[in-house]
Amino acid sequence: MEGLMAFWSETGVANFTGGQLLMMGVGCLLLFLAIAKGFEPLLLLPIGFGAILANIPNAGFTEEGGLLYYAYHVGIETGIFPLLIFMGVGALTDFGALIANPKTLLLGAAAQFGIFATLLGAIALNLVPGFEFSMQDAAAIAIIGGADGPTAIFLASKLAPELLGAIAVAAYSYMALVPLIQPPIMKLLTTKAEREIKMEQLREVSKKEKIIFPLMVLGMTILFLPAATPLVGMFCLGNLMRESGVVDRLSKTAQNELINIVTIFLGLAVGSKLSAEQFLRIETLGILVLGAVAFSIGTAAGVLMAKLMCKLSGGKVNPLIGAAGVSAVPMAARVVNKVGLESNNQNFLLMHAMGPNVAGVLGSAVAAGVLLAVLG
Amino acid sequence: MTSISEQLSDALGIMIMGMGLVFTFLSILIIGIGIVAKLFPAPVAYIPAPQAPSNTALDTSLDPKLVAAITSAIHQYRAK
Repeated sequence: MEGLMAFWSETGVANFTGGQLLMMGVGCLLLFLAIAKGFEPLLLLPIGFGAILANIPNAGFTEEGGLLYYAYHVGIETGIFPLLIFMGVGALTDFGALIANPKTLLLGAAAQFGIFATLLGAIALNLVPGFEFSMQDAAAIAIIGGADGPTAIFLASKLAPELLGAIAVAAYSYMALVPLIQPPIMKLLTTKAEREIKMEQLREVSKKEKIIFPLMVLGMTILFLPAATPLVGMFCLGNLMRESGVVDRLSKTAQNELINIVTIFLGLAVGSKLSAEQFLRIETLGILVLGAVAFSIGTAAGVLMAKLMCKLSGGKVNPLIGAAGVSAVPMAARVVNKVGLESNNQNFLLMHAMGPNVAGVLGSAVAAGVLLAVLG
Repeated sequence: MTSISEQLSDALGIMIMGMGLVFTFLSILIIGIGIVAKLFPAPVAYIPAPQAPSNTALDTSLDPKLVAAITSAIHQYRAK
């Protein structure tokens, strides 16, 4: 009988707290979104499962010695996982469209207004009782507007590790929701005539230009923004491996096996931050709201900038492509293409939207560097 | 309340500075891309149309011999 009692006291049933059950529910919700709805399944599935594992009573996944503890400690606290992912993203990114039409970098820059406006919003939220975001917290939340998972995780791990779980979940959820969030804003800010604008075909880009590009970006980051070099440096390494054409094996590993392996552990480690005491707070609600605001403002700023460029260029730029400036590669560019096709079924904007799209990745990395330099 | 208004003005400062820096950085990059594009023009410039057909004509005239040579080489290699 005593043995039975000892066994019972060790079971999950006897040890569950309400918070843990609720967080397992959140984990299951993420699994549902990933599996049934196809929302960023590559990340939400491991994050959701990590959330379930992290909330098992007596299993000790997140205590010192536990698997998730080490995954978090080694990969995220040090910033290594997001940086490795960034290298893979660099190896996956073709800057051809951007190099062919460099002015689209301005769209990638304008869309970062979402980040900085949200910084202000997060601080303003402190006026509401119950919220106490420091400037660091606010910066980490604001970066959700960059619509770039690894950048958000990297910055959050440096500035506000206690908010990391909520920030990562918000960032990836909203990236999955890009096709729902962006089109209404895009349509609101453009006229039908503007959406129908056809853009000139992009010029050919030489291989040398593509090889020099990552080196130039790195050089500029070294000169002006060393705080961003971890992100930009790894990104440029991946891109150089791709474009140089001499290390295809490494480039393929970076964009397939390595990024996949790291994604599994990154997801699990982020999920481990979804524990009841860290997630079930009023702040999480604030982060979710601010994240959506950041995304919307970023999209709007990008579209408005593209409208300005449209006016200045005499109607050669379709303002829709500005929405792709928020990054969320390649989802945002696809959304632009789709909205463009709705107005004119002969108008394919995908390649034109890829320019601002990858510019957004650079823009958010630069914005993250600025925030790190000022607040880190 | 004063601390929040201070924080707000700080955040506003970061916002203005941040957007300024992002725009400056990416604008310099635009100039850089422009310079590189001038130095290393795209392949379109040096693929003259008239040469292409003559090249392919040469290729096709060489083709049978070349194919024969390659097939015999493969046969010899496989026979080893």
